Amino acid sequence: MTAIRLENLVKRFGAFTALKTMDLEIRNGEFMALLGPSGCGKSTTMNMIAGMESPSEGRILFDDKDMNGVAMGRRGVGFVFQNYAIFTHMNVHDNLAYGLRVRKLPESEVDSRVKAIAEFLQLTPLLKQPSAKLSVNILQRLAIGRSAIVEPAIFLLDEPLSNVDAAFRAVMRTELKHLQRQFRQTMVYVTHDQLEAMTMADRIAVMDHGVLQQVGTPLEVYNNPANLFVAGFIGSPGMNLLKGSLADSDRGLVVNLGEMGRSQPLDPELVSAVRQSGSREVVYGFRPERVSLSGTAEGMPLPVTFVERIGARTVVHLGAGEQRVKAVFDNDAAVESGSTVSIAIEPASVRLFDAGTGIAIRGT
Amino acid sequence: MNRSLPFEIFRYSVITLALAITLIPTLWMASMAFKPIAEWSAAGADLTWWPKNPTLDNFRFIFGTSTSDLIVALDRTAGKPILSSLLSAVFGTLIAMGCGTAAAYGLSRFGSGQNLPLALIQLRLFPPMAVMIPVMIMWAFLGMVDSWWGLALIYGIVTLPFAFWLMKTFFDDMPREIEDAALVEGCSRGRVFLKITLPMMRPALASSALFVFILNWSDYLIALLLTTREWVTIPVYMASLSSSMTGQLYGAKAALGLIAAVPPVIMGIAIQRHLVRGLTFGALKQ
Repeated sequence: MTAIRLENLVKRFGAFTALKTMDLEIRNGEFMALLGPSGCGKSTTMNMIAGMESPSEGRILFDDKDMNGVAMGRRGVGFVFQNYAIFTHMNVHDNLAYGLRVRKLPESEVDSRVKAIAEFLQLTPLLKQPSAKLSVNILQRLAIGRSAIVEPAIFLLDEPLSNVDAAFRAVMRTELKHLQRQFRQTMVYVTHDQLEAMTMADRIAVMDHGVLQQVGTPLEVYNNPANLFVAGFIGSPGMNLLKGSLADSDRGLVVNLGEMGRSQPLDPELVSAVRQSGSREVVYGFRPERVSLSGTAEGMPLPVTFVERIGARTVVHLGAGEQRVKAVFDNDAAVESGSTVSIAIEPASVRLFDAGTGIAIRGT
Repeated sequence: MNRSLPFEIFRYSVITLALAITLIPTLWMASMAFKPIAEWSAAGADLTWWPKNPTLDNFRFIFGTSTSDLIVALDRTAGKPILSSLLSAVFGTLIAMGCGTAAAYGLSRFGSGQNLPLALIQLRLFPPMAVMIPVMIMWAFLGMVDSWWGLALIYGIVTLPFAFWLMKTFFDDMPREIEDAALVEGCSRGRVFLKITLPMMRPALASSALFVFILNWSDYLIALLLTTREWVTIPVYMASLSSSMTGQLYGAKAALGLIAAVPPVIMGIAIQRHLVRGLTFGALKQ
């Protein structure tokens, strides 16, 4: 149980900067997800925490102890790799026992702890099996078990579920969370899958192009994205983002959305925020889930270009010229492609971003 | 599988031809090893596939227990050359594999020099003769001519590049995560190499060792230059199996050849399952 602090962390590989000045505090016992598309620097950050890579600049502190120069074997971290890295020349039992044996624990204790973790991960019937021919689902369980058995204070997981099948992934999401609750480790979880991050993490650190974009609880990140990248990345589909400019109307401040016409009047809170910021050119954002079909003339009339019925919900693609919008309705929504529907956007869900900087405009 | 008949005929013709090229001489040798002199020498006009009067005379002859119907007596038996071949090839393989594996691991994991691996094959870039004359002089200077250890050392040196390059590709293919997984548990580098990397590399080690062993085992030129009497190897000894009266002693050569084929075949069978390259490194999914 250790807090992790990253201070001005920079990592360069030759001329390429993989990570640009990152500051992040991971609290003791927290489940932190590093979320971002591939190549965003999340794995590099993780490797530096583990000690597999050394930072080009900055410091990594575990409970105020500088980890610079501390070998990875002495950091007390557990690491689960995306490709499991199981020792195939050993059986399941020996793989699980590996960390304990390296630490020279008495064989009787090794045995009892292997049994306990095998029970927890439902590996008991497989203990005597060679590990070379196990299925990926079992391999991933084994990899988690091998790292968890030594009860590391910090548990690092690098996309552990990206290779397993969808049904098993859902099971493991619950189990990993359960595991973390039981052992109360500080957990850092690298993923490109926002569903994993949203369901498991206490807080999410969203990254892109080596830059930390936002840190917050899953709901904060979803409801109040700090910038355009986070807005578009979080949520599936992501937030609708429409370029526009502010305009006064007789009903209050609105956003002129070009071919799509004018938006509904902005909420008073947003109006004061946008007036304070001084921005004129803005990006008008709203969640596809916050759109409803409106029968009145109040709504925005838009042509339907495509309808995706994905079981529980219906994703409707709407468009007018450059401006394209997605909306999520119930599965039985009576919308046909080719028709025109009138939509209403929930006023409280509207977010504005500065068109130049991409940063969210928020009240203070 | 709906191949046309002409294609099938063509396919099997090619397979048959390929098999014939390798198998006929081998079978002929095996058959000849058991033929008495009258059947393998030109004197016995009709050559047959099966020995008409199978005999072990050829084997007795090369081990010096019988002079067969040949009036010649050998000045030495096949025992010592077989021992010489075994010692030099085995130790040569150990040297090449030991140094080659260590060098390959080091360069694969920590190597920075681009030219160093290439420098290792320079001994192979020249015609063997050009390299072997200086080696002969050096070995003479060091007093290692006509000794199995001198031969083992040069075998180790000339096959080192093969051992190195083979092992390097295997090490390059092995994912580093597996070693990192052991390192993060607090295992030392040396222990990771001995307890994790090498055991997982067993198939690679076996197939590389077989390859290197066969190279050493079948060498003629180096042994011809570096041995004179005491420690001649099987190929050199085989070349000497002739007499002024009968010319080439084909029966004796065939018997010796059959014996020489045994060690590689045994090794090959022993590691056959590894040769199919069933390498499932760390159960990785790429």
